[in-house]
Amino acid sequence: MHEIDNGGDMPHRTREPRRRFLKRAGVLALGGMAPAIVRAQGTPLQLGVLTPLTGAGGFDGPRMAKAMQAVIDEVNANGGLLGRKVVLVVEDGQTNPEAAVRAARKLIDVTKVPAIMGTWASAVTSAVAPLCWESRTFLTTVSGADSITRLPHQGYLIRTQPNNHLQAGKHAEFIASMGVARCFMMSIQAPFAEPTQTRATEVLKEKGSQMVGTLIYDKDKTTYRSEVDQALRTNPDLIYLNGYAPDVTILLRDLYRASYAGKRFAQSYAVTSKVLESLPHEVTEGVITVQPSADVTSPAYELAKKRLGIAEPDSYETQATDWASLVSLAIAKAKIATGTGIRDNVRNICQGGGTKVYSAVEGLKLLAQGRDINYEGASGPCDFTDIGDIVDCKFRYNKVTDGKFVLLKVA
Amino acid sequence: MPSLADVGQLLVNGVMAGTILAVPAIGLTAIYAVLRFPNFALASHATIGAFAGYVANARLGWPLLPSVATAFVVAGSVGVVTDDTVLKRFRPAGYITTAIASIALTIALENVVRFVFGNELRGYELPIQRDWRIGAIRVGPQQVTNLAIAGVAMAALFGFLGFTRMGKAMRAVADNPMLAAIKGIDADTIGRIVNFVGMGLAGLGGMLIGLDTTIDPLTGFRSILSVFAAAVVGGLGSIPGAVIGALTVGIGEELCLLFLSPDYRSAVGFAAILLVLTLRPRGILGQRAY
Repeated sequence: MHEIDNGGDMPHRTREPRRRFLKRAGVLALGGMAPAIVRAQGTPLQLGVLTPLTGAGGFDGPRMAKAMQAVIDEVNANGGLLGRKVVLVVEDGQTNPEAAVRAARKLIDVTKVPAIMGTWASAVTSAVAPLCWESRTFLTTVSGADSITRLPHQGYLIRTQPNNHLQAGKHAEFIASMGVARCFMMSIQAPFAEPTQTRATEVLKEKGSQMVGTLIYDKDKTTYRSEVDQALRTNPDLIYLNGYAPDVTILLRDLYRASYAGKRFAQSYAVTSKVLESLPHEVTEGVITVQPSADVTSPAYELAKKRLGIAEPDSYETQATDWASLVSLAIAKAKIATGTGIRDNVRNICQGGGTKVYSAVEGLKLLAQGRDINYEGASGPCDFTDIGDIVDCKFRYNKVTDGKFVLLKVA
Repeated sequence: MPSLADVGQLLVNGVMAGTILAVPAIGLTAIYAVLRFPNFALASHATIGAFAGYVANARLGWPLLPSVATAFVVAGSVGVVTDDTVLKRFRPAGYITTAIASIALTIALENVVRFVFGNELRGYELPIQRDWRIGAIRVGPQQVTNLAIAGVAMAALFGFLGFTRMGKAMRAVADNPMLAAIKGIDADTIGRIVNFVGMGLAGLGGMLIGLDTTIDPLTGFRSILSVFAAAVVGGLGSIPGAVIGALTVGIGEELCLLFLSPDYRSAVGFAAILLVLTLRPRGILGQRAY
């Protein structure tokens, strides 16, 4: 059966192994005899990219992959890493843990990459991270759930996205800075609800403001009149609407109907431009939105703009820029392209007292001279805690005016 | 300690929420009474009604009442077509098969809406009015309008069932299909009428929900469990029961806020189902259609 099925292929099959043998022998011979630079060009250094190209993250994933490629192109134009050309191997995580795990297995077991960059959804990162630390592969992510950096990842994970704790603290600082004395927080029932409320309450108190009440509401309700009544009984100057677009839309309507005249504050994913289109202007007037922002004042941001050829790279594009730079610099510093090498050296190139650099190429040049560097990224300072969280980042605050977002400040 | 005004406000909110819930709940229970299966496709028909009303109101610029009528007619017509082409074939296989087919149908229809209109939130072109304050109680003009529309729709349905030949025939089929057949009532025609009316009410309910919130392809799906709870509490198959069930669920979910955090609101609706069915397995009013 076997022979009949493959009979037609016989000549081809006999030729194939011979050709492969010759190729391998050639590579071995070259490897043994040729100078280092020739060997380098023969075996590129492969780095893994695992962004969602489809699914809910399908808008951000391709742009992140592009931003990483742009950095790697610059690195290659500058002679590559450890004398080798760098190649990004891009897999689609599909915003789906199961698909992402399969793709990660391929990158780890078949391609044998030292680093995987780009997981987006928290569920995907939670699923992929154990594969990475078990195989000593370095992972960089934008997922925000607090639980991610608390995984026992042994240092094989960093994230450039602020976690809930950092976000809640920063939001509360901003709210207090507006002179708000009494804040109320309405959160949708979600894992981030309670930690966000607790952290915001702490920081408001530190800053001389006060959280006068919090509540967690059920999703998928057609009205939140009673919840709004509960909030208004505490007479707040500002209500923080910590939910998603469908429920925050209803809350904004119900607050308007109840003639609430105080400030309203929400995440930018809850009050999107589509939400503004779906509501009358008088309902959304004055709403303040917040989102993690790229560090628009950083020289690294200017370089990212030029490199990508876009006027305003967003938070995701700049974070991807920083991953490709951090991983490249850590490999150069470690002088070896392994996950453990990156883990042990990443904090040596992005924090501490070295010369500040704003791009991978700039850093590689100084490292080659044996100097210490401190990479400052386009997304922020890129300083990490022991568990891999960023220490600080910028936020962009917008105010809705006449149905449009107007920039208040980046801080 | 909550004040009397707080309790009064919660009661008012509960009645408002319950009345809107009652409209699709009547649709669900009417279809169950005649065709004897829980038609979960009600969810997508509520969405279709909400979007039909949206097209009439926001795209064609029609005022509220003609838009609401459009929601009823379009959802009702789609209901007749989907039942004739899809669900009718499943009915001989039993009510569980048909109910599961109705879930498949609702997901398919919801995706048709998503394909045509996309995923984003949409709002009707109606001004949002500030609430009236009557003493310490807050009442929304839009919700009073919704209450009136729901009230008129229910009164019209009761009139139809009580006084028209077709309505009486529908009740006859619901009470005793075999006897109705012997008397020469055409079950197919009655099936179409009940689908038109039932799904029309679902569409109307979907639009009423949308008037208070915003609409997207999941509008109906988000409410279907509460609608089902209302119909079961009142007595699946009993039309006045659906109204009483909806008010029980609506008021119960609001009054629970006196003792519980708002995130347990949905749980109360379903605890009500368990309680009522434990005490009265056939629901508050039993299963007699009218």
